Amino acid sequence: MKQIRRNMVVALALAATCMGWTASASAQAAAKEPLKFGLAMPLTGSQALFGADQAKAAQWAVQDINAKGGVDGHPLEMILLDTQADPRLGINAVNRLVSVDKVPVFGTAWSAVVKAVAPIANRSQVLGLSVGANSPEIAKLGDYVYTTYPLADVDVVAQARYARDTLKKERAAVLYIHNDSGVEGAKIYREAFESLGGKVVAYEAYDAQSTDYTGALLKVRTSNPDIIHVQGLVSDLPQVIAQLRQLGLKQPISTYSAGYNPKVVQQLGAAAEGLLVSALAPSAEQNPEIAEFVERWKKTEGRIPNGLPYTQYLYDMPYLIADLYSHLLKAGKPLTGANMRQALVDVAEFDLPMTGKLVVGADHRVKKPVYLFEVKNGKFEPVATVQ
Amino acid sequence: MEYVASLLVLIGLYVILASSFNLIIGFGGLISIAHPIFFALGAYTVGVLSTQFGLHPVLSIVAGFVVAMLASFMLSLPSLRISGDYLLITSIGFQLGLLEIIKNLDFVGGASGLGGIPNVVQQHRSLVFAAVALGLAVAVVLGLRALVRGPYGRAIQAMRDDELAFVALGRNAMNIKITIFAVGSGLAGVAGGLYAYYYQYLTPDQFQILQSAMILTMVVVGGMGSVYGPVVGAVLLLLLPEAITFLNLPSSVMGPLQGLIFTSLVILFLFLRPQGLVPSSKRLSAGGGHE
Amino acid sequence: MLDFQTLLQIFWTGLANSTYAVLLAAAFALVLKVVKVWNFAQAGLMGIAYYTMYLAIQKLGWPGYAALVLGAAAAIVAALAMEVFGLQTFRRRHSPPLTFFIFTLVLSELVQYVLAMVAGTEPVSLAATIMSASYIVGGVVVSEWDLKAIAVTVVLMALLFVVMKRTRHGQYMIAAADNPHLSRLYGVNVRRVYALTFVLAAVLIAVAMYLFGTRASMVPNTPLEMMLFAVIAALLGGMGNVFGAAVAAVFLGLLRAFSILVIPSAWQSLILYALLFITILFFPQGVRVARRARKKPAANSAAAGA
Repeated sequence: MKQIRRNMVVALALAATCMGWTASASAQAAAKEPLKFGLAMPLTGSQALFGADQAKAAQWAVQDINAKGGVDGHPLEMILLDTQADPRLGINAVNRLVSVDKVPVFGTAWSAVVKAVAPIANRSQVLGLSVGANSPEIAKLGDYVYTTYPLADVDVVAQARYARDTLKKERAAVLYIHNDSGVEGAKIYREAFESLGGKVVAYEAYDAQSTDYTGALLKVRTSNPDIIHVQGLVSDLPQVIAQLRQLGLKQPISTYSAGYNPKVVQQLGAAAEGLLVSALAPSAEQNPEIAEFVERWKKTEGRIPNGLPYTQYLYDMPYLIADLYSHLLKAGKPLTGANMRQALVDVAEFDLPMTGKLVVGADHRVKKPVYLFEVKNGKFEPVATVQ
Repeated sequence: MEYVASLLVLIGLYVILASSFNLIIGFGGLISIAHPIFFALGAYTVGVLSTQFGLHPVLSIVAGFVVAMLASFMLSLPSLRISGDYLLITSIGFQLGLLEIIKNLDFVGGASGLGGIPNVVQQHRSLVFAAVALGLAVAVVLGLRALVRGPYGRAIQAMRDDELAFVALGRNAMNIKITIFAVGSGLAGVAGGLYAYYYQYLTPDQFQILQSAMILTMVVVGGMGSVYGPVVGAVLLLLLPEAITFLNLPSSVMGPLQGLIFTSLVILFLFLRPQGLVPSSKRLSAGGGHE
Repeated sequence: MLDFQTLLQIFWTGLANSTYAVLLAAAFALVLKVVKVWNFAQAGLMGIAYYTMYLAIQKLGWPGYAALVLGAAAAIVAALAMEVFGLQTFRRRHSPPLTFFIFTLVLSELVQYVLAMVAGTEPVSLAATIMSASYIVGGVVVSEWDLKAIAVTVVLMALLFVVMKRTRHGQYMIAAADNPHLSRLYGVNVRRVYALTFVLAAVLIAVAMYLFGTRASMVPNTPLEMMLFAVIAALLGGMGNVFGAAVAAVFLGLLRAFSILVIPSAWQSLILYALLFITILFFPQGVRVARRARKKPAANSAAAGA
């Protein structure tokens, strides 16, 4: 009897130790196992000035999250690849993220890239987050493609509405660059302005490669508008505005978020006064965390980030993904792309550090307030917030 | 793995492109860099036919071949009438001009691109595409080899070596040039069709001069005027950038670095080994004089 | 829309904006005429000149003229290096025209990648601000930049004319252009003539890029796009005709500017390519055929670039 009891005690003790060991071992392994996600950005090429900064913002977020203990003890890991804003390279990058790195979720930007990688996300059932691209078609790219950044119809419409309702402008001229974002944005402005009762008196495109816009601008001048909306890129915006002013057009000029860039003001000098721009993220004055963010940039890079609002959204993306992971871990669900997507739909409302509340709609869109700024004395001053 | 299969698809496509380009520029001696536009025409034909009309994939690709071939006549007939030199400039204008037109036409998606091309392979997608692409590539290379070694190939070579004598003997140089151009361009169109079905999304920017330079590099480095040269060039120039990305270099260096490596390679080859990696057999070498 | 003032405005601004295109077209045509090479490396030279001047102005704080000299020097060095180490080698080997084409084109791309790595891909401008003072003359807006650009271009082209027609070296250039072998027999140092040609072209390029950069900004792959314009102008003007190319550049610039009145702005760049096609079809020797009964230089350039 005693022998059997002793054996049983020993056996139980051994069993307990083994269980404890495996428990702690698995706990340790689980604590160490990183949660991965991918990010495909233009780190080189003509868009790198924005893409690299956005990638950096995301990296900072990952560091910050991990410094606070990660996601329930798991470190967050970001795999960063270059797309050069080229659809083909984007496809390559996402293929690698999905097949080699086996991430259940990835983020990317630039409308052409998002559209190109959408089929991969849908086929492989991996959640694709578009952060910063604004083509309205992104909402219709499939079950697995969601945007966390408001699409063009949000801020361009806000500009149109502000021009009509607040500034009481009757006649608008629309100038746009002849590429996909210009064409789509201009169309949205025209539809919005006209649906609010206004009249679009000039609708001119300019070539991406030309530097002389005189012809188009003269057409705008003769149409006698009250306000001119320019849907261009940060590289040509200063030239267009400069030539507008030089040709004697004194009407107020509005543009979308591409104009919210200190370089534009710097290159134009006094000609930038009165320029109306929109931004889709709150500014440093409106949220102290953002001021800290900008300070951090100044300290580490010696400058402010290119395209500040976009970097804010990219900073928030890892937080959003962390929330999704946390949700799945709590529910004990496997970390697959399909579950990630379901988590996004189930959680739907996120409170993010840099951009505030985000509500991901079932229609794959997000609605955010649009912050309108006007250039006064060489600085961007907030003038309105449009919901 | 999906990733490897997608690389294989790219390799297959570019072998077809490089080989067909080699036919035009290496064997035919026709200096045109408009190859990507025929690639684009094949891709867009497939894109439009599949999204608007739901045509069967094989038929669409054949249509792509035909459209590319017909377009090649638009380029070759006027320019070859004058002289081979003009073909170069005209080809640049042709490529860029057609791309501008595509950018302005809404029914091909314009500058935003043509998306929503349906997925035609449900099971083992990448493997099937890889098999088709590689199979076509092999067929193209073998076909070119047969062409070049046969009597037609000898005629091409005779024409290139001494066109005056060739014409004096009663052969029609113009016909041969136009045919070569048409066949090469048509093959590029086929590659384009396959590309459209695999990637399901097209933008005009993918077919610009940079693409011309890439294909040219493959042919030059691989060996112009040899049958297997473009194959080597295509494989090398596709795998090298992928290998570089695995090196995890700082990003500001990586992008231009790839371009830097290729262009330096081409220039190096031009100086040190003009015949490329795979030298053509003596009697089929491009251009006059020895290199 | 067709009132006189508008037309005059379009004319003036179009004219002013074609100035740098004139210089670039002249440079391209000059090399084509004398050295018999389609110098696609011109885009690379343009990039080198531009970024050197950018370095001087924005980073070193040099005044405009000093930077211009530096930019010209950089372009000259690059052009001569290409000629001596590259083109001469291929000439000696009797390489086919294809080699010259590939070499010059790839050289431009190499320069583009190096610039992207060294200077980044942000758009950069040579001027601190792109707005220049402007005056209203007869209802037409005339800016200081316009006046400066036109004056500089006219002066440079006049100088070029004088050099080519009245100086000894200019005569050598024309002789070598017409018949290099015969000129060599007559004691003309053809190699030095080629070098001089590249020097002249480099100067034209540097000035053109300076003018461009004080009005707009640029990224490393802008020159390749701009060069196409110069190529088409050279073709239109006639393959052996430097000043024809200059006139063609003005014509093309004005055509583009005025085309806005008849076609939607989206189709503007198409005009250039359509014109190219028409030129090849109907004017393969350029438009000025009637004036000069000249042997077709195209035949010479087809020969292995000697």
